[in-house]
Amino acid sequence: MSVKVWVAVATAVLAVLLVPPLLTPGADSGETSQVRTLRVLVPNQPGGGYDITARTAAKAMEDADLLRNAEVFNLPGAGGTVGLGRTVGERGNGKLIMSMGLGVVGAVYTNKSPNSLLDTTPIAKLIEEPDIVVVSKDSPYTSLQQLVDAWKANPGTVTVGGGSAPGGPDHMAPMLMAKAVGLQPKTVNYIQFDGGGELLASVLGGKVAFGVSGVGEYRDQIKAGTLRVLAVTSGKRVDGIDAPTLKESGVDVEFANWRGIVAPPGITQTDRDKLVDLLGRMHRTPQWAEALQRNGWTDAFAPGEGFKTFLDNENKRVATVLKDLGLA
Amino acid sequence: MTATRSWLRERSELGICALLVALGVLVLTDALRIPTDFAQRGPVGPKAVPILVGSLLLVVAVLLARDVLRGGRGEAEGGEDVDLTEPADWRTVLLLCGAFLANAALIGVVGFPISGAILFWGAAYALGSRAFVRDPLIAAGLSILTFVVFNNLLGVPLPGGPLMEVF
Amino acid sequence: MEQLLNGFATALTPTHLLFAAIGVLLGTAIGVLPGIGPAMAVALLLPVTYGMEPTGAFIMFAGIYYGGMFGGSTTSILLNTPGESAAVVTAFEGNPMARKGRGAQALAAAAIGHFAGGIIGTILIVLLAPFVAKHAVDIGAPDLFAIMVLAFIAVTSVLGASRIRGVASLLIGLTLGLVGLDDMTGQQRLTFGSLHLADGIDVVVVAVALFAVGEALWVAAHLRRKPFEPIPVGRPWLSRADLKRTWKPWLRGPAIGFPFGAIPAGGAEIPTFLSYVTEKRLSKNKDDWGKGAIEGVAGPESTASASAAGTLVTMLTLGLPTTATAAVMLAAFQQYGIQPGPLLFQREAGLVWALIASLFIGLTLLLVLNLPLAPLWAKLLRIPRPYLYAGILFFASVGAYAVNADIFDLLLMFVIGLLGFAMRRYGLPVLPAIIGVILGPAAEQQMRRSLQLSDGSLTGLVNSPMAVIVYVVVLLIVFFPLLKRFVPSPTPPAAPTPERHKIDA
Repeated sequence: MSVKVWVAVATAVLAVLLVPPLLTPGADSGETSQVRTLRVLVPNQPGGGYDITARTAAKAMEDADLLRNAEVFNLPGAGGTVGLGRTVGERGNGKLIMSMGLGVVGAVYTNKSPNSLLDTTPIAKLIEEPDIVVVSKDSPYTSLQQLVDAWKANPGTVTVGGGSAPGGPDHMAPMLMAKAVGLQPKTVNYIQFDGGGELLASVLGGKVAFGVSGVGEYRDQIKAGTLRVLAVTSGKRVDGIDAPTLKESGVDVEFANWRGIVAPPGITQTDRDKLVDLLGRMHRTPQWAEALQRNGWTDAFAPGEGFKTFLDNENKRVATVLKDLGLA
Repeated sequence: MTATRSWLRERSELGICALLVALGVLVLTDALRIPTDFAQRGPVGPKAVPILVGSLLLVVAVLLARDVLRGGRGEAEGGEDVDLTEPADWRTVLLLCGAFLANAALIGVVGFPISGAILFWGAAYALGSRAFVRDPLIAAGLSILTFVVFNNLLGVPLPGGPLMEVF
Repeated sequence: MEQLLNGFATALTPTHLLFAAIGVLLGTAIGVLPGIGPAMAVALLLPVTYGMEPTGAFIMFAGIYYGGMFGGSTTSILLNTPGESAAVVTAFEGNPMARKGRGAQALAAAAIGHFAGGIIGTILIVLLAPFVAKHAVDIGAPDLFAIMVLAFIAVTSVLGASRIRGVASLLIGLTLGLVGLDDMTGQQRLTFGSLHLADGIDVVVVAVALFAVGEALWVAAHLRRKPFEPIPVGRPWLSRADLKRTWKPWLRGPAIGFPFGAIPAGGAEIPTFLSYVTEKRLSKNKDDWGKGAIEGVAGPESTASASAAGTLVTMLTLGLPTTATAAVMLAAFQQYGIQPGPLLFQREAGLVWALIASLFIGLTLLLVLNLPLAPLWAKLLRIPRPYLYAGILFFASVGAYAVNADIFDLLLMFVIGLLGFAMRRYGLPVLPAIIGVILGPAAEQQMRRSLQLSDGSLTGLVNSPMAVIVYVVVLLIVFFPLLKRFVPSPTPPAAPTPERHKIDA
């Protein structure tokens, strides 16, 4: 081999080794009390709920100058459990957080994921979003009571549509309602649609008897009068929606979809405190307050230990329902 | 002995039948394993379609075997870059597979810029390129460019290599 | 109408034109990159628009959206690696054209098809928005399932010379489509406990593996070692004969694409396939098919583009995102505190009409920028063969890896690539497998959903007028050749097609 070849190979090797690190801004160096860069794992697709929460939070943190750079990336798959697996695998990494929510709790069971959310380090619960029980304006049901009576008489033909997979929030809510009114969850005819959009079409077109979903995409339809809300699932009534809570209508269920932030297991106490503190300060920024308002989210901030207890309880509640259905 | 071998060689397409049978059995056993003790609604559950597809795989395997034994042959795909008069060149295929798998094996260890360059150079070498000066430089350039576009411009993270933490 | 003119007035200001041009360029550039479809492109570029006023931001998005979709078909034609699912069908005829030195024509047919489909689609938005808003929600699972049955019947025309091998390929595709968590009940199928397989195998991964990786391996086994002749680039423009063959497919595309885009769960894969089959059936140059028939590029591209327009209708008027890209756009709207839905046209009329006007402008810019680029892109194929195939493998690997940063996806692609190699060796056509991956899961889901909605009663499959009409068409297609056999006719009877019945099952 000639000298030229060696020079070429050496140049190539050097370039490949040196150029990428030189062009990429350096990672954190030195111990400061503040977190400067952070990677945010989103375990579902761009445009999904965890994605919007993560990007909104990241932007609020950057705008309020709490953070120099928050890099949001998506690792979708298996209802969020692929991302969960990655997070659990990054044991001890204090510069990674994952945006997650109730759906991941159920997905752990339905996907038979080897990792559980109990393996992670809970950082903070951020928001809640109540579900609504909704029918089209042409539906025969004008009150929750009427719907429940019909449902109890004939659970097979009174179909319920939801935008999430078994174990997700839109699936949990009707199952909990069924249990509360004395229906076996197994008799519920739950039909899954690919997200709230496709479900909305089925409710509008009267394909399903009623739908259960987050308020998000539905506000405009409700305002326009094409949809009728029979109840909200949260403990309190929701601003701008003229409907009673489930409890007021005699169904003893209190339920809300929620989203929060967890970190990998085994991070140091200092790292954990830094992250909890960072989210706490983010929560107080005007940018975050405005984002809550804009997205119609309910503030449900619960840092550290409080979130951990909450997560434990949610895990149990989901597991009970899924066991009844033979899914866990 | 040789007679059997040449008989088999002539009918190597039976391998496809074997593949179809294997797939069919796999699909069927997997379908039968699905528990029925859960909230299934309607007459068609999660088992029905796999059982249909699995059975059809078996049927088609038998029909294809019959076709092959009666002298039917699948026509190998031609193309501008394909010369079917030559026997298959397995060395090239294995080298190419090696380059592809090397990328998969190394990407997590040495980072994308290196493994990507190995993939490109390896594949080009396998396919007969012997420009030892130009090839590594093109491979490195392409790999670095891709890395910078994805990682730095678009924010789609790719592993950068062992020296990422040094600077 | 006046509102639309006002919209044009807003969109035609120099700043907004600049935004539209930037959007188109960025969208095309990113759409060309492996593994990044239009949904991802819009998501990645969302931060760029932070701080812009909403009108400018949405004008830019419109450009990115159409640009991203177009970029995906460029790689489909040139490298046989579709960038997104709507461009998979384009590779069927586009890549053979490129290999024959007609890459520039294929790209031009795609670009003009894109333009035509998009413009007609956008005109339909203007004319039909209220109508679509009212009727899109009437299409339900039974109707969609009926259309799937029709599509399965249409598969017979892509089975190739040996029907039994075509069916084998289709079944391989259906098997790949089974992998993943069952949507309706959450049961695992063929996942072998792997979380990576729980969401199923993406059709783009299957297409790239079967087309690009399989082909690279196959070429490696039989590489023509004779003198390397670079692929001729040929004339840069469409000839008169080309135009004669393409203008009808361009115009027919929207008829298939627009309604599919507008209905929930319609998407772009099935209409592009239906357009492909329709054009094949109507074509006078049947011998060209499979070897680079320009109609097979023009029709599906126009369909894909019109389907994108249809998607926008449902998103704007109902707030329904029917594709991943629309979901991202919806999220972008919400970032600005704008909620698409039935009241949007009243509340934000200025913005909506500016957006619609900018769709026209974006499409025009896309055409103007990309037509002259087509011959340049086509020159890419002049690079020596080792580099070309090494580049294709490199490109495919980056695409598979970048999305999830997971080695598993590379291995999956390799295994399916080996399958593609074996299929080429033994004359199993690749197309039916791809169609199986697209149609199988969709058909199963719609059928089971129909039956669930009717609480298990079989009447649930036929309880809508549209489904009944589609089934009648299906029966006509199936029994027409049979009828012809019993009626004496001067031409020899059509060959019996026993496989056809198996597919219906």
